Amino acid sequence: MNERFTERDGELVTASLRETGARIVPARELAGLVAGVVAGVTDYLFGVESPLGAVYVAAGPDGVRYLAPASSEEEFARRYRERFGRFVSPAQGDEVAELAERTAAALAGERVEVPLDLSRATPFQRRVLEVVRGISRGEVRPYVWVAGEAGSPGASRAVGNVMANNPVPLLVPCHRVVRNDGSTGRYAFGAGEKVRLLRAEGVSPEEISGSPYVATPTTGIVCHATCRNAKRIQPENRRAFRSVREATAAGYRPCKVCRPVVAA
Amino acid sequence: MKTRARPQEWATGLDPLAARLADGDPLAPKALVERHYRELYRYAFSVLREELSDEDAVQDAFERAFSALGRYSEERLRAMRLRPWMYRITLNVARNRLRQRREVPVEDLCVEAASDEDRESIMDTLAALGGLPERQRVAVTLRYLQDMPYAEISSVTGWPEGTAKTLVRRGLMRLRSLMVEEPKGGGQG
Repeated sequence: MNERFTERDGELVTASLRETGARIVPARELAGLVAGVVAGVTDYLFGVESPLGAVYVAAGPDGVRYLAPASSEEEFARRYRERFGRFVSPAQGDEVAELAERTAAALAGERVEVPLDLSRATPFQRRVLEVVRGISRGEVRPYVWVAGEAGSPGASRAVGNVMANNPVPLLVPCHRVVRNDGSTGRYAFGAGEKVRLLRAEGVSPEEISGSPYVATPTTGIVCHATCRNAKRIQPENRRAFRSVREATAAGYRPCKVCRPVVAA
Repeated sequence: MKTRARPQEWATGLDPLAARLADGDPLAPKALVERHYRELYRYAFSVLREELSDEDAVQDAFERAFSALGRYSEERLRAMRLRPWMYRITLNVARNRLRQRREVPVEDLCVEAASDEDRESIMDTLAALGGLPERQRVAVTLRYLQDMPYAEISSVTGWPEGTAKTLVRRGLMRLRSLMVEEPKGGGQG
């Protein structure tokens, strides 16, 4: 008995439902709503020139999260998703343009602060990355020093792992971290690349290798060979050391600026 | 209004946008949001009937979606049927939000700003829809407000097509008695 009215009045009802559906549209402009969602659910990427060649950068609202060379935006985006579980969209807006500019300047060797978002790193990784971030252009430090400064003396090997997985190479200059004997060691983008980068920054890998510490009898202080104080030592006063222990045994005390690790 | 087109390629076969997401196309996330925003908003509005909260619900649905998609393997992502999947998430978000505010009377949920008759008739229809048992409401909403074929309703809800059809028929009968036999009194200004 319901069949007839369902058919006739049902049409009225369904017409009214369709009508209702057609009229429900967002009150605000779609483009703005979409942009808002995209900004919330994806990070953004931009390309930039670097000493490693062209690289891509992914950033979130708190700063740069990932930097890597890649053959294409797509390849970079895939790797970023694999590593961070997030998608990237092309960078848009003034804020991003400013970050891209800052990043480019920093990669070109200027002293510009680039905000980094290292929230995905463990507390230890973060401490290590922050320490390495503070190593100036033209200087290098051994793993053992980084471990000590990060509050985990003896964790040289763990520091090496953090360096190998550094999400923001160059911005956190892991190429400035060398082996405890002063040899340059490995690099995520190739050992030769590490040597080339250091040379371009005015570091002579040959000089440091085997004698990473330098002391002078005029002050009685021993430094990392690339410490700004060590660079001022006159050639005739330079005493090279394989380890800080040897230097202290010879009566030198560790520099308070570069804080070489005595145990090394 | 052109959102009522017939099902497109992505609604039936493999979804090219899923492949683009898997391939790392940086324009793909925005394309996905653009493609579904309107219809998901329509669904959220039909359930929640609050503009700001609906935008919020849709944002929430997309956040959940992308957070899950971000962790999927490339193969899984590539094989996704994104539309019904997006609907499943939106249905859940809308249902949860509706439950959380059960105590709020329906009249208070209407938007104050627009006072035209269109708005009133939309709200009346949605109020009637809101009076249906949940499964009937979902089935009718997907079928007529969202213009979704039964096969896809089935894939969104997990109900067999026959069940979806029955729910729609029962829902329509009930709506008819709500909308035609007991028309709402005059507007209350």
